[in-house]
Amino acid sequence: MISMRGVEKFYGTDKPALADVTVEIEQGEFVFLVGHSGSGKSTFIKLLLREILPSKGQIVVAGQDMLKLKNWKVPYLRRNIGCVFQDFKLLPNKTSYENVAFALEVIGKSKHVIRTQVPEVLRLVGLEDKINSYPDELSGGEQQRVSIARAFVNRPPLLLADEPTGNLDPATSLGIMSLLNRINKTGTTVLVATHDREMVDSMRKRVIALENGLVIRDQNRGVYGYGD
Amino acid sequence: MGINVGYFAKESVINFRRNWVMSLGAVITIYLSLLLVGLSIATGIIIDDVVQSVEDKVTIQIFLKDDAATEDVQALQAQLLADELVDTVDYVSKEEALERFKEDMASSPEIIDTLNDNPLPASLDVSLIDPRTVQEMVDRIKLNELFPKVADRPDNPEDSLKYGQQIVDKLFSFTRMVRYVEIAFVAMLALVSLIFINNTIRLAIYARRKEIGIMRLVGASNGFIRTPFLMEGVLQSMLGAVLAILTVLGVQAALIPRLREALPFLPLGLSTGTLVQISAVLIGASLVIGLAGSGFALRRYLKV
Ligand SMILES: Nc1ncnc2c1ncn2[C@@H]1O[C@H](COP(=O)(O)OP(=O)(O)OP(=O)(O)O)[C@@H](O)[C@H]1O
Ligand SMILES: [Mg+2]
Repeated sequence: MISMRGVEKFYGTDKPALADVTVEIEQGEFVFLVGHSGSGKSTFIKLLLREILPSKGQIVVAGQDMLKLKNWKVPYLRRNIGCVFQDFKLLPNKTSYENVAFALEVIGKSKHVIRTQVPEVLRLVGLEDKINSYPDELSGGEQQRVSIARAFVNRPPLLLADEPTGNLDPATSLGIMSLLNRINKTGTTVLVATHDREMVDSMRKRVIALENGLVIRDQNRGVYGYGD
Repeated sequence: MGINVGYFAKESVINFRRNWVMSLGAVITIYLSLLLVGLSIATGIIIDDVVQSVEDKVTIQIFLKDDAATEDVQALQAQLLADELVDTVDYVSKEEALERFKEDMASSPEIIDTLNDNPLPASLDVSLIDPRTVQEMVDRIKLNELFPKVADRPDNPEDSLKYGQQIVDKLFSFTRMVRYVEIAFVAMLALVSLIFINNTIRLAIYARRKEIGIMRLVGASNGFIRTPFLMEGVLQSMLGAVLAILTVLGVQAALIPRLREALPFLPLGLSTGTLVQISAVLIGASLVIGLAGSGFALRRYLKV
């Protein structure tokens, strides 16, 4: 699903944000990407979304070579990748339903598809009774569920989450993680960037640890790290 | 596709309302520039018609002396007819000249009554293919060796020739000057309207940056993201064009009948076909302005 070979990323400075990263992630895996602030987690995710291009190395996502992919094809790559962020990125003037429907509308799905899929995915994330609520009427955890519903409504084979629980308390975070876990059980590959130590330790999933742009550890059924 | 058109139209209207001051500015400048284009085309066509009708009357009359030899007159007629500048050469006899004079003076019969015999000379009426060559043709006639033999007053050839060079020159230089001023104004207004559209689209992009970010994230195609903005630019310029067309139609409906009344001898008017053509030109120009203005803004402010 994801293959990175010798990937380097410089942002114009002499210190790389990512330096010689080689990672393989198979279809259906659940992977944590951990590391200190500034270690390169967001850069890793942006490369997979082709928001940025690597300075060196090869990246293949969902069968597409990022360096060879034409600009105009990038939207079609992104239809295969669901995305969740720390700040939810919901539109404040739209209800839960409309926020999720928007993602389908703008990729040209029919009204019929929208009417059946949106309520279904909102039920999946446990928000069937908040369908017509606006973001400012929802708690942080509920807003993040809406954003996960939006990322998953198109049933993408890959879901990327950049610090999805960064703004949430531990109990709510646990709910979000179990939701992501449930989505992973449907066969979707899930990659979560986080520095939520307890969460990572409790879930015992594969952990890729970054430090100064280098992969310092890649462990199945791993933990966040030792003492740091 | 059915959903898309609705979606795009809705988005364009929302954008328009959100930045209505800027949008109105864009519509007004486009309206003014297209109105100027429309009116200048319309007046251009009317003036062309008038010039044409004046030109039709621009002939060179060669007055002949009463005892000119028929064969000389016929030879001159044949030679002139062979000239590449000349369209037709008509012989007008003394009697015909008198008839015409009487017709022209029909409103003052007392003048006709004072004529006891026919003082008018016969003439050769030369009409030209291009009226702007009048002066050249006059010079050629003066050089013709038959001209002094048949001319009414061979000692003073200027007196034997009558032509309307001055009218034609004045009309042409006047219309040319008007055209230049119009082109300058239209260019300036077109530039201002491009700047206005560019600005409204920039504001629209800024107002919707969050939506745009999400659209990119979920994989909306570049065309899908751009289309509402392009449509907004086109919507503004089309609105300006429609207003300009209505104004042109209104002005011509109000003005033409009065002009006709005031200047009954001139062919004033615009055919329906011409009006349709003017409308088509304005709509086409508005499409170009709208697409150019918003396309320019998208290239600068919407990186995809
Ligand atoms: N657009 C950019 N221009 C220049 N430098 C950047 C840019 N984005 C990131 N960096 C730098 O690259 C390094 C890695 O940043 P990145 O955002 O990937 O870290 P992160 O692991 O996501 O951190 P955090 O946990 O705080 O989100 C940092 O040193 C950062 O300053
Ligand atoms: Mg980050």
